[in-house]
Amino acid sequence: MSAAEQLPVLLGTAWLLPLASFVLIVFFGPRMGKHGIYAGYVATAAILLGCVLSLYGLFGVWISENGVYDLAAEHQEHAEEHDEPDEGDEARATRGQVIRAQQPDAAEAEDDLPPDSKRFHFDTSEHEGKSGTVKAFTGDWYTLGKFGSLQVTIGYYIDSLTVLMFCMVTFIATCIHFYAIGYMHDELHDITDHEVTLSDGHHLHRHGRFPRFFQYLSLFCFSMLGLVIAGNIAMVFVFWELVGICSYFLIGFYIERKSASNAANKAFIVNRIGDFGMIIGLMALFGSLGTFSFGNWFDDQGAEHPGIFSQVRPGEQEYPYRLRTPDGMVKAAAAGEIAKGVEPTKEQVDIWRRDFSKPNGYGRQAYWLLIVAGLGIFCGCVGKSAQFPLHVWLPDAMEGPTPVSALVHSATMVAAGVYLVGRFYPVFTPEVLLVIAIVGCITLFLAATIAITAVDIKRVLAYSTVSQLGYMMLALGVGGWVAGMFHLVTHAFFKSLLFMCSGSVIHATHTNDMTKMGGLLKKMPWTGYTMLAGCLAIIGAGVPFSIGLSGHYSKDAILAQALWFQIKNPLYGWPFFLVASGGAALTAFYMFRLWFMTFVGQPRDHHVYEHAHESPRIMYLPLVVLAGFAIFVGGSLPFGGDYQGLAVQGLLEQARPDGTVAESNGRLIPTLHYPSEKDPKVHRDVHKQAELVAFGTALAGLLLAAAIYGLQLINPNEVRNYFRPIYQFLVRKWYFDELYQALFVEPTLFVSRRVAEFDKKVIDRFIDALARWARIVALLDDVIDRYIVDGFVNWFAQWTYSAGLQMRRLQTGNLRQYIVFIVVGTVGLFVLMSFYAFANATH
Amino acid sequence: MNVLAQPVGVSHFLIVGAIMFVTGAVCMATKRNALGVLMGIELVLNGANVNFVAFGSELLNPDGIGLDGQLIALFVIVLAAAEAAVALAIALNFYNNHSTIDVDRADELKG
Amino acid sequence: MDINWHSFFFMAFAIFACGFALAVVISSNIVHMAFYLVLSLGATAGLFFLAGADFVGSMQLLIYVGGTLVLLIFGVMLTAQSPFISMKTKGGEWILAAIVGGSLLAILLQATLNIKEWQAGEKPLPDRAPVTASRLGMGLLGARVDELDKPAAARAGMSGYLLPFEIVSVHLLVVLIGAAYLARPKKRIVPRGFEQESQS
Repeated sequence: MSAAEQLPVLLGTAWLLPLASFVLIVFFGPRMGKHGIYAGYVATAAILLGCVLSLYGLFGVWISENGVYDLAAEHQEHAEEHDEPDEGDEARATRGQVIRAQQPDAAEAEDDLPPDSKRFHFDTSEHEGKSGTVKAFTGDWYTLGKFGSLQVTIGYYIDSLTVLMFCMVTFIATCIHFYAIGYMHDELHDITDHEVTLSDGHHLHRHGRFPRFFQYLSLFCFSMLGLVIAGNIAMVFVFWELVGICSYFLIGFYIERKSASNAANKAFIVNRIGDFGMIIGLMALFGSLGTFSFGNWFDDQGAEHPGIFSQVRPGEQEYPYRLRTPDGMVKAAAAGEIAKGVEPTKEQVDIWRRDFSKPNGYGRQAYWLLIVAGLGIFCGCVGKSAQFPLHVWLPDAMEGPTPVSALVHSATMVAAGVYLVGRFYPVFTPEVLLVIAIVGCITLFLAATIAITAVDIKRVLAYSTVSQLGYMMLALGVGGWVAGMFHLVTHAFFKSLLFMCSGSVIHATHTNDMTKMGGLLKKMPWTGYTMLAGCLAIIGAGVPFSIGLSGHYSKDAILAQALWFQIKNPLYGWPFFLVASGGAALTAFYMFRLWFMTFVGQPRDHHVYEHAHESPRIMYLPLVVLAGFAIFVGGSLPFGGDYQGLAVQGLLEQARPDGTVAESNGRLIPTLHYPSEKDPKVHRDVHKQAELVAFGTALAGLLLAAAIYGLQLINPNEVRNYFRPIYQFLVRKWYFDELYQALFVEPTLFVSRRVAEFDKKVIDRFIDALARWARIVALLDDVIDRYIVDGFVNWFAQWTYSAGLQMRRLQTGNLRQYIVFIVVGTVGLFVLMSFYAFANATH
Repeated sequence: MNVLAQPVGVSHFLIVGAIMFVTGAVCMATKRNALGVLMGIELVLNGANVNFVAFGSELLNPDGIGLDGQLIALFVIVLAAAEAAVALAIALNFYNNHSTIDVDRADELKG
Repeated sequence: MDINWHSFFFMAFAIFACGFALAVVISSNIVHMAFYLVLSLGATAGLFFLAGADFVGSMQLLIYVGGTLVLLIFGVMLTAQSPFISMKTKGGEWILAAIVGGSLLAILLQATLNIKEWQAGEKPLPDRAPVTASRLGMGLLGARVDELDKPAAARAGMSGYLLPFEIVSVHLLVVLIGAAYLARPKKRIVPRGFEQESQS
């Protein structure tokens, strides 16, 4: 079987295994073993199996079919600046290297390209992918419904990014499942929750919820993997929401704590705000492009229809994979003309597309529609990845148990936003990319500054996560697709490692507060040294121009791209590089502040120090494994025969979307130039400069942290007092919570209070008055009924009775009187008859 | 003598009949003895008989034989006899039960 | 002196009948009343003879006077109270009865005297032999010999008085049986209020 047939089966099975585990635990959880401990084993087994399948899919299927991408050779080639197209695949295969087709870069007739842009030839070598030249397999597993030309399906889009993400997510999830079995063993028996106080003053006493935790974890894994494998944007949205609801469940795991339930609500609601923008983007896309699918799709008759990527970056000779306003959007903009009867032929559509000069030209309107679609999708990512201004939920999400923070809120769910930006990259215009870069830039600076004042160990890591996500967005925003996604992968490893280490510390000391810790290195060596590895990874420690930890490579890539962007756009490109470098310094500072405060120095709280102990093996072994990955995942595999040279960057290059390596310019902002990520200059001059800057800033931050917290040369309290206003501002998280409270919460509460008042004072009064009137009317009716109606009836009866009594007196029983009456009657009768006779007779 | 010379018409008979009828009615109305009431009934029926005979006689219809009047009067007489028998039986019953023949005592139907 | 003996005897009989009827009313002794009634009814029989109704006059004397009134007198004797207390009606009742009776008499007289055909002398009496009973009997059976000059069609609906005759006969039988039953001897109960004097 070819990769196209094997991979969907493998990855599909890996995707559905956590769902099976979820269903099993839902129905049988509490009965699985003593207090449900087997639920944990079932979930771990499912995800472990999924990991095995994904790794097989990567090593056994993908690489065996597509080979390993040669990064070194590519660097060399680009240094030579050749023009010829490459030889066929077979020639390269003899050297054990396969290069995929070159990225085309042809200028559009009406664009003004910078004079020094390179032209690469378009290679029409064989490819199996359904969209462009990137190797990707698309297909549909199941059609949910057909509405005219729209097909809503459960489908897949598998390229090397998908396979890489699957491996990463399942591997980290497996480590965390093992870790969680140890961490959550408290939930195997009844718990007294000291953070919840009931109304009678006691603490809450409840049963353990061990199976429920793994049920939610399994559901989350299923949702995340479904999001990664999704082949159309509607399916992405469904799993987007699923991941959000799993996050809600997991954050609110300790549901009886008010802080936890508030945090869960906040996370979900803030996510929803982002999803509102995403729906707008979805509608813009669907309304104009008529399809949800990423890649090309086939209908019942077997005809091929273009997917979103093909419509936006068509492979035609004239526009080889350049971003072009798709036909659908141009037709939507010119709908008035079409309604008047103008035929939308290909030439006519092209004429409309080029109509960019006037402010209401059809080409410009269509371009705006494309921008709206891109910004809409990005809105969803802002919510999901906790970018400014929707970053407020992530620090509060630390209320959940630490395995949740490690899996969901560092490595996977928050990365889903970045993943979607990366997946949707072909659709974003340069203007949208600029917005993404700005948002990322603001976020990374904002979060880094708050992190330097936080004292809760998980809060520091949460803000660090927000800041690193800002880095990823910045990277993607300045054109560094591989840089951003690379940082995503490395960040997943070292951030989950850091969270798990902090979980281990919390488990040992029963407190989150760093001001109570100190000097724990002797008592918890495994945790301490693995955390040191993680901290070094995150700051990008390494020796310049040679080796380094994983974070070194990814952060270098980001800084290099930012610097190149600045060089290309001297007018407004400078903030990005500056902020990124400053952020690197801050990152080093707060991470080592955390490490020094926790593990080094005198214990601040002896009670805590006495009780601290190393975690059980099931908890620290995953830490070791992840530390190994955090150190080595940035480099390439130095051994392994066919797999030699395998690197994350290589896999990402194989997944790079068509047309994204080329230079491009903004059309609404003509001075916006986006450099190519594989431009040779990036790898020569710029990269060197960026490495030096990264090293310098990281070292500066580390030394400062060591000075204050490690060697205790400077007293942090004095520093805090000196910078008191700034410190207040940072410790209060830039007053964002207060700002949102005043901007959104208070007006809503105000309106609701007014409405409640209206309801109570006006409506209730009115109803009460009506009721009172009804009562009065009822009383009146009662009076009428009793005295008038009943009175009348009674009077009538009384009168009848008295009349009867009166008439009774006629009945004297006296015979003679009766005779008299007879005679009187006779007389009367005669009188009447005589009158009658007189009236009629002719006398 | 003028009075005696005039022929007798139906009206004279009718007058007699009327007088007897009214007398009988008054007798019925005023007598307390049940048998007195009975006598009043006989008088009334008699007065009616006189009327019947007068109307059927040749004074009114010179050609006829006065059959209708006579026969009706005959029936009335028979019925009067029957009725007198029954009334007497009632009166005797009353007398046996109450030991008095005073109709004023028969007021048990008083309402 | 030209006396119409028919009228003379009519007057005599009329005065007797009315006079004795009035005596019945005025008298308070029940035996006197019975006697006066006999005389009144006898005078009425005479009136019948004068009206040409021989048959009815005979029957009146036979049945009425000879039968009914004898029965009445028996009743008087059987219900005699000792002593023969006379029950007097009150004066007010006399007045009321007089008014009522008077008004009835006035109406009857007025009606009588206002109809022309009934006045005297309108139709002269025929001079012929009195009607025999055989003709009455045939009329009783249905052969109306008094209306021979009426056409047969007009005569068809006229019937005799046979059916009423039979009915009356049966009726009489029933009445007599009933009366006999009613008047059967029963145990005499102690009378209530026997001591009470009934005063008028």
